[in-house]
Amino acid sequence: MQLGIYYDQTRCVGCYTCVVACKDWHDVPAGPASWMRVHSIEAGSYPDLFAAYLIRPCYHCAQPACAAACPAEAIVKSAETGIVTVDPEACLGLEACGGACRESCPYAAPQFGAESEARMQKCDLCAERWAEGKKPICVEGCPMRALDAGPLKELVRKYGDNQEAAGFVRHPDLKPAIVFKKKMWNP
Amino acid sequence: MPFQKIAEEVTIPTMCSPHCGGNCLLTVHVEQGRIKRVETDLAPEPQLRACMRGRALRQRVYAPDRVLYPLKRTGPRGEGRFERISWDEALDTVAGQIKRVREKFDPEAILFIHSPGDQVCLNNNATIGRLLALGGGYSARFGTPSFQAGMFASYLTYGTVYCSNTRDDLLNARLIIMWGWDPAGTQTGTNTPWFLARAKESGTRIVAVDPLYSDSAATFAEQWIPMRPGTDTAMLLAMAQVMIRENLQDQSFLDTYTVGFDRFAAYVTGEADGVAKTPAWAEDVTGVPAPVIEQLAREYATVKPAALMAGIAPGRTAFGEQYHRAAITLAAMTGNVGIHGGDAAARAWESTLGGYPFGMGSGAAVPKAKNPIEKPKAGTPDIPRGEKYPHIHFTRVADAILKGKKGGYPADYKLLFVVSSNYLNSIPNSNKIAAALKSMEFIVVEEQYMTATARYADIILPTAYFVERDDMALGVGMPYLGFQRKLIEPPGECKPQNEIARELAARLGIADYDTRGPEEPLREVARRLNIPDYEAFKQKGVHWIERSAPHVAFKQQIQDPANHPFPTPSGKIEIYSQRLADLNNPLLPPIPTYIETWESANDPLASRYPLQLVTKHAKRRANAQFDTIPWLKELIPQAIELSVADARKRGVEDGDAVRVFNDRGQMVIPVKVSRRVMPGVAILPAGAWYAPDAKGVDRGGCANVLTRDEPSPGGAFAYNTVLVEVEKA
Repeated sequence: MQLGIYYDQTRCVGCYTCVVACKDWHDVPAGPASWMRVHSIEAGSYPDLFAAYLIRPCYHCAQPACAAACPAEAIVKSAETGIVTVDPEACLGLEACGGACRESCPYAAPQFGAESEARMQKCDLCAERWAEGKKPICVEGCPMRALDAGPLKELVRKYGDNQEAAGFVRHPDLKPAIVFKKKMWNP
Repeated sequence: MPFQKIAEEVTIPTMCSPHCGGNCLLTVHVEQGRIKRVETDLAPEPQLRACMRGRALRQRVYAPDRVLYPLKRTGPRGEGRFERISWDEALDTVAGQIKRVREKFDPEAILFIHSPGDQVCLNNNATIGRLLALGGGYSARFGTPSFQAGMFASYLTYGTVYCSNTRDDLLNARLIIMWGWDPAGTQTGTNTPWFLARAKESGTRIVAVDPLYSDSAATFAEQWIPMRPGTDTAMLLAMAQVMIRENLQDQSFLDTYTVGFDRFAAYVTGEADGVAKTPAWAEDVTGVPAPVIEQLAREYATVKPAALMAGIAPGRTAFGEQYHRAAITLAAMTGNVGIHGGDAAARAWESTLGGYPFGMGSGAAVPKAKNPIEKPKAGTPDIPRGEKYPHIHFTRVADAILKGKKGGYPADYKLLFVVSSNYLNSIPNSNKIAAALKSMEFIVVEEQYMTATARYADIILPTAYFVERDDMALGVGMPYLGFQRKLIEPPGECKPQNEIARELAARLGIADYDTRGPEEPLREVARRLNIPDYEAFKQKGVHWIERSAPHVAFKQQIQDPANHPFPTPSGKIEIYSQRLADLNNPLLPPIPTYIETWESANDPLASRYPLQLVTKHAKRRANAQFDTIPWLKELIPQAIELSVADARKRGVEDGDAVRVFNDRGQMVIPVKVSRRVMPGVAILPAGAWYAPDAKGVDRGGCANVLTRDEPSPGGAFAYNTVLVEVEKA
């Protein structure tokens, strides 16, 4: 089974609630590491403009480049849920290995804190919340109801299988577990 | 219930209530007396989902700049050197100072400065208001910084501030005009952006009028109309001119429900003053092409129902009252008042706090006490919450402190009691306020944080946050109330505000401050509001007031005018106001009138300061609250936004440090070059904390270093009528 994420880009107002809710839930301090990031996208010139946001959690790829790149085999993909997780004990740390995982991921999902010998950390799709029957903290907190998560097949059934969004670069070889409602310029 | 003694993690729903314009559900996880983390509303939809500020609760409660103990100043004012003292010493000192000033001077010499703090029933500024009133009276600041123009216009035109529909009624609109209204950037009712998204998805056309391509414009609007700040009234008048010219107005509505349309029409058509307020005339003033104005006028007049959501930011200008009066007039001309999917186009209170007649006010659990020295003031319209003696418009308080009786003010001010107000930061002309604070004999500040204002206090009284005491919170935008249980002990020696007032009352010999127990005031409010099960309300953290349909303001007045007149002197919507005519003040004319602002783009001052500053709300702050929270601060660094054209003209690039200045002050902050800003306009998010360096240059990016401390004739705070220049630092 593969759990995945749905993101309605047309609804996102860039409120950053998901980012802060995630930092609070997973106890990530202010600093360079953020398991959920929100990118701002702008195009055009005044006054003919396009503006949108794009969420950047980990997309929990079917073929995770980070796992392949890790010299310590610290990154694993769960067969049961498809969630990609890192074992911080096994991770060599940013200084020792140079962050091969981060280099390999086109979405920069692997994150490192500011501390010395920082170990990789990243979105785990709130693995422990699923066990309690809850969806990820970002999904349940989104004030615009722009997010959903669940078995990828169900998401595709519910929302379609569009894998394009403004600002998103597709990497079909990695098979990121996300479907979008894309925001169009002049829809 | 003593949660703090439960060893394992418990989860309790409560309502987040900082002064943001929302109020949302938080489900707080508490472990061994400490907040561990938060979720939001876990009940079925419609949920009250919290924003990033609510989600940062833990960093706010355990902030390193939280004031944990009563403090006494040991260094010069503003420097921030304090020492810890006991509550007894702090309260004795404050009570002693109040007694001293009362005995030696007039009661007017005590000046009470307050801001809302938490939007709650019991623990807010109403406590000290009652205390000072029972003690013999006081001077206070007059005016509501956010929407004084909206209140003024609502009272004069509709006779009330109960002018808003609940936000779910947006789903009934076929056209929504977001006029200077950005609910995605500013909390203006929990879930408001969600309703807008759903309205859009169901086919409602949404148009944004705004000098900034805001997140609301970018997300919801099919059309964005950039307009020069401070010229809103001119565009609204031109829309009226188009409607009259093409006979599109709802004449039977105007005949039945309004007075004075003919005089307004005579002004708009030019019959009265020889100047027709045509779209071509407005194009020169506003920068909006005439055909765009014409099209919007026709749309608003013919697509029904249509909601003109007239935001309060355009009212925060010189003559902002005229903008609100003009918007209301257009709502009447199009017959959109009192119907589902329409809107009265009046923005004032939009909460259970008073925006809907659901009967609960901020501070409702604090018994009202009349200020014995308060009386009507000559030269101001006789309206509720109008200006009264001896109060001073908030923007003029610093001037009053500095000049006193010699400057024509009612007193020489000796004691300043500041409650939940970052006054120095939030009111125009911070540098002048700093000078005024330095000159005061005694300042006491009730606060949670070491704010820019608290640094000037002689005594700081540390207050509890909403998770540290019992209270009830007010819904905004929708009809609900929240219950806030005490989840943790206040950190250090912080105290709930109502306890501080009771202890001061005891020291001042005021026996009847409130003899009831701590919970009775809340139970009494719950009874008044017909909340059937107080305990269930407490457990759930929220009570929804049941309704069969969205609330629509003035429905009765429209459906049954014979039995339900408008609460104005004429019983009608007063497009022409006799109360204003009686003032005989050309700057407060009886019909909505375009009056060019001071510091407009045409002002000679614009040769030195050519940019019009708009001080928008910051997404990550609630006014001045939350500025120092690390999780929030890192997401959106304080910066001044300039258009690409204006940045190029000044040779600055995105991220450069720039000096922003005018005659009132200067700051050095980074510039954000943005294609979303109208050329000629600079956007600075308000609320960043004032931090002047040794040379008096603000390094914090406090917008009020630049704003002008002069109120509009109707009391509007002119935060958005400011000329500045920007140069590379």
